[in-house]
Amino acid sequence: MKREPAPTLRLHLSLTLLSAALIAFQLEQMQLLALVQWHHFAYLIISIALLGFGASGTFIAFCRPILLRHLEWLLPVLMFACSITMALTLTISQDISNRFDISLLFVEPGQAALLLLGQFIYLLVFFLGALPLGLVFISFSSRINSLYCANLVGSGIGGVSAVILMYFLLPQQLPALTALLPWAAGILVISRSRRWPVLGGGALTLAVIAAVVSYPPQIHPSQYKDISRTLDLPGAEIAANQPSPYGLVQLVTAPSLRYAPGLSLTYEGEVETVSAAVFTNGDWFGAVNNGEPSFLHSTAAALPYAMAKRDKVLVLQAGTGMDIIFALQNGAKMIMTVEPHQKAAAIAADLHGTSDGDPLHHPLVHHSSLSPRTWLALHQEQYDLITLPTVGSFGGASGLFALQEQYLLTREAFLELWHHLSPDGVLLVSTWLDSPTRNSLRLAATIGETLEEVGVDSHRHLAAVRGWNTISFILKRSPLTNNDIEQIRSLCKQLQFDPALLPGLQAQERVRYHAPADPRFFDNLDSLFSPAPRRELYSSYDFNLRPVSDNRPFFSQFLRWQGLPHLINLFGERALPFLELGYFIVLVSFGQMVVAAALLILLPLLRLGLPGRTGLQRWTIPFFSGLGLGYMFFEIMLIHKLILFFGHPIFAAAAGISSLLIFSGLGSLLSGRLLPHRLNHGLAAALVALLLLLYFFILPPLLHLAITLPTIWKILFFLLLIAPPAMAMGMPFPLGLERLAKHSKSQAAWAWGINGCVSVVSTGLAAIIAVELGFSAVMLIACVAYGVAAFSATFSPLSTRPGPTDHAGTMGEEI
Amino acid sequence: MAAEKRVTVQDNNSGRLFPCGLRTTGTLLLTILLCVTLAGVLPAAWAGDSNDFVKKRRQMVDRQIKGRGIVDQATLRAMVTVPRHLFVPDYLQRQAYMDGPLPIGHGQTISQPYIVAYMTEILHIKPQHRVLEIGTGSGYQAAVLAELTDQVYTMEIIPELADSAGKRLKRIGYSSVNVRQGDGYHGWPEGAPFDGIMVTAAAEFIPPPLLQQLGEGGRMIIPVGSPFYVQHLMLVEKKQGKITTRSLMLVRFVPFRRSP
Repeated sequence: MKREPAPTLRLHLSLTLLSAALIAFQLEQMQLLALVQWHHFAYLIISIALLGFGASGTFIAFCRPILLRHLEWLLPVLMFACSITMALTLTISQDISNRFDISLLFVEPGQAALLLLGQFIYLLVFFLGALPLGLVFISFSSRINSLYCANLVGSGIGGVSAVILMYFLLPQQLPALTALLPWAAGILVISRSRRWPVLGGGALTLAVIAAVVSYPPQIHPSQYKDISRTLDLPGAEIAANQPSPYGLVQLVTAPSLRYAPGLSLTYEGEVETVSAAVFTNGDWFGAVNNGEPSFLHSTAAALPYAMAKRDKVLVLQAGTGMDIIFALQNGAKMIMTVEPHQKAAAIAADLHGTSDGDPLHHPLVHHSSLSPRTWLALHQEQYDLITLPTVGSFGGASGLFALQEQYLLTREAFLELWHHLSPDGVLLVSTWLDSPTRNSLRLAATIGETLEEVGVDSHRHLAAVRGWNTISFILKRSPLTNNDIEQIRSLCKQLQFDPALLPGLQAQERVRYHAPADPRFFDNLDSLFSPAPRRELYSSYDFNLRPVSDNRPFFSQFLRWQGLPHLINLFGERALPFLELGYFIVLVSFGQMVVAAALLILLPLLRLGLPGRTGLQRWTIPFFSGLGLGYMFFEIMLIHKLILFFGHPIFAAAAGISSLLIFSGLGSLLSGRLLPHRLNHGLAAALVALLLLLYFFILPPLLHLAITLPTIWKILFFLLLIAPPAMAMGMPFPLGLERLAKHSKSQAAWAWGINGCVSVVSTGLAAIIAVELGFSAVMLIACVAYGVAAFSATFSPLSTRPGPTDHAGTMGEEI
Repeated sequence: MAAEKRVTVQDNNSGRLFPCGLRTTGTLLLTILLCVTLAGVLPAAWAGDSNDFVKKRRQMVDRQIKGRGIVDQATLRAMVTVPRHLFVPDYLQRQAYMDGPLPIGHGQTISQPYIVAYMTEILHIKPQHRVLEIGTGSGYQAAVLAELTDQVYTMEIIPELADSAGKRLKRIGYSSVNVRQGDGYHGWPEGAPFDGIMVTAAAEFIPPPLLQQLGEGGRMIIPVGSPFYVQHLMLVEKKQGKITTRSLMLVRFVPFRRSP
């Protein structure tokens, strides 16, 4: 088979472009699905992408001869096909996304099928994109290092570029533009073989992209999202759209929109309509009031000001600025506000600017766009009042946010908050009351453990008041004075709130106006402020009430498996998913991915023969499984650690994925210089295992130390820190694949498939392990996985029997 | 009450229209059906209430409602009477009597039958009571309330839902229900004071006008939760001008703690 040689540089560039597109497309879809549905699909998109890669490997294993025979024209055609599906995904899936709703997954029988159909459409894009990559890898196995490098570097560039583009373009515009990359990749590898039909395909692809760019599809968020429900109000309309990597910011106006959370039942005034509401990715961000709202004096926000004057106020996650307005109303002299979502805050500030007073541009108000934890780590000033946004959501979100990291509600966060309080300063944090009771008890547990750690008596420093739907905790740095207690009692009487925690409190005072659903609520609450009863409550309660930590920052995740039978008995099986929908969605999608990976990757490969019987080397399965699991676990762990470090999930995902891929690519390139001896891939895996073990101990403290650095230094520090393990992680796979391919190309297909399959499963599995055991466990398992890979590669005897399909022709190295 | 109405009407009509009993049974029934339909008394869609649905409804009441401790006879009668399947989208009719909420569009749901029954029972409605519902949705809850009193006022802010619920209620025979499209924040001042107010679309705050329109001794009930999972019910009572609240669990209280 003599063919015209293709310029290697063009091929490398083509792979780089294709890889960049595939990662960019993943990030774009994560954001799009977060907008249309909920953020849980991030895990699913990664899994589907990996499934596409795995399935393509299996496909190659079966059709390798025919695919390689036509590789010259097939490569550009596959890239064009990937480009077309990428551009059209949103249009094709529009009908599905209009009918699919994650909230209905456990309600309507057809929803699971719609979910599968949607997954298939995404799978097609990644399958068509991965196919040319896999074909090139197999055809040029002796030059795999540089090709793998091009692939990983391209992926890294794709991640960064996607985030940059998200600043300027709306989510629905991005996929079609990204589709230009695989199109360009295809153009680069057009050869003489069937040149004109292929060029025709390229022209058609470009025409499709142009059509979708000119007429981008409309996106319709789920009818259960906050924005949809607001838009249902008469006269409601979207007044502004602002793209942002934090999520699409939308400003909605509606003549009948009112917002007065936590309002006392004694308030007799008018609750004015707000001038607009701000949403990010379709979720409520805040309301922008017409002028200064008068109702705030009739909420629990008034408590700290009733106790004493508050000169210096720190408002964390300030949203649209309700607490800022109230601080100004109460005569604060310096207000520091921290709101990482710059665009959403800016859109609210602009709107405030058109109304009287313009509180957000007031000279006493200072703004920071850092994440609250980053800001707390950077600054040491103390404040008379620190306010946090209300925890949870009114009525609950059916546990939809169970897997959302909330670093402002961890034990470590509360310790930092404590140290930022002035000697007489107070922290005000409220939570919506839920049933069965979870949020308020976990919050109380967090406060109780924090106070214990700093060595103060919670009974003298803590008060709590309860309205009909919220409970507010007031944590004071110095002991509460008689005057404080008197003021709290007086305001409670005036607003008809019940004190829940207060020095010298009588039992009957706790239920004067509002009787809780759970008659044991106060017993449970009290238990949380003494070590032994607290431990007893932790172990006996149906839900997990333990405070969350930076290692396991899922504040809204309460489900414990031991409590499940009791809860099913109480609420019935149909209601159960809605106790913690977010977690159940991850479990369901994990199950789907396990089945899909087995069906699309492993089952077809069984036709090639079982390991051991057909010459498949015994180290192949543990080695490539270990690499797949180890890599994904480390990546997921890294992204989560970076959320705290960089302050936002999308930056964390882009930085984590891109840096890991780029350095792995460099590592792959470097590994090409090593002797491709049997021990080398084992040694490379052992090196990774050792490095990960070292990083298990040093990564969290080093990231914590560097969190205070200026952004540019922070990025440089992170890159230096991540380079050694990431480079090492790029070595074992190409070394092992190269080693295997020399022995048998069919075994290389098995290796590719196993690695893909395990990677697919690992994404969801890492999330589940993080919830159950924390991210340290995820990191440790990654370390062990590489250890197993190293062990199997080093100590397995080398089989010399060829695989069954090795007689099949390959392209060799002629191109 | 619709079933009761039907029986009454049949008795009256047969006495009035066919004193001699000269027609065959088939003709007689057909004529009765025609007459009462024209008179606007028999729900036009009643024909859609097949034996299968009647059976399912009885089972629903026995298993899901009585089985969970609802004892108020008037409420149970109302739940047996109102054809729930006519208040859900066509494609979900087969699931209408299942133990759960169902989507009705616009991000709204028709509540789980048990929640509807529980909220109705809690309001302690008497035939002479005036009841205001905020958030008509499909109109099902209003129909259940209409089985207990003739003075039902219901408001829906989403125009499409208000329109379809109004038409549906009329079609099924609940023309006495007063339906209004409007902002529930303001309540229905002309109908006040109310003995019972049901806020089926709960918000983060209770509108002050609603508290003002709640009569002395009146009860307001608010289901708190997300669309598919009502967490608990908030009962607001006004006694001697003082407003108190009580959070009610949907399950008869069972501690979420396994040991003392």
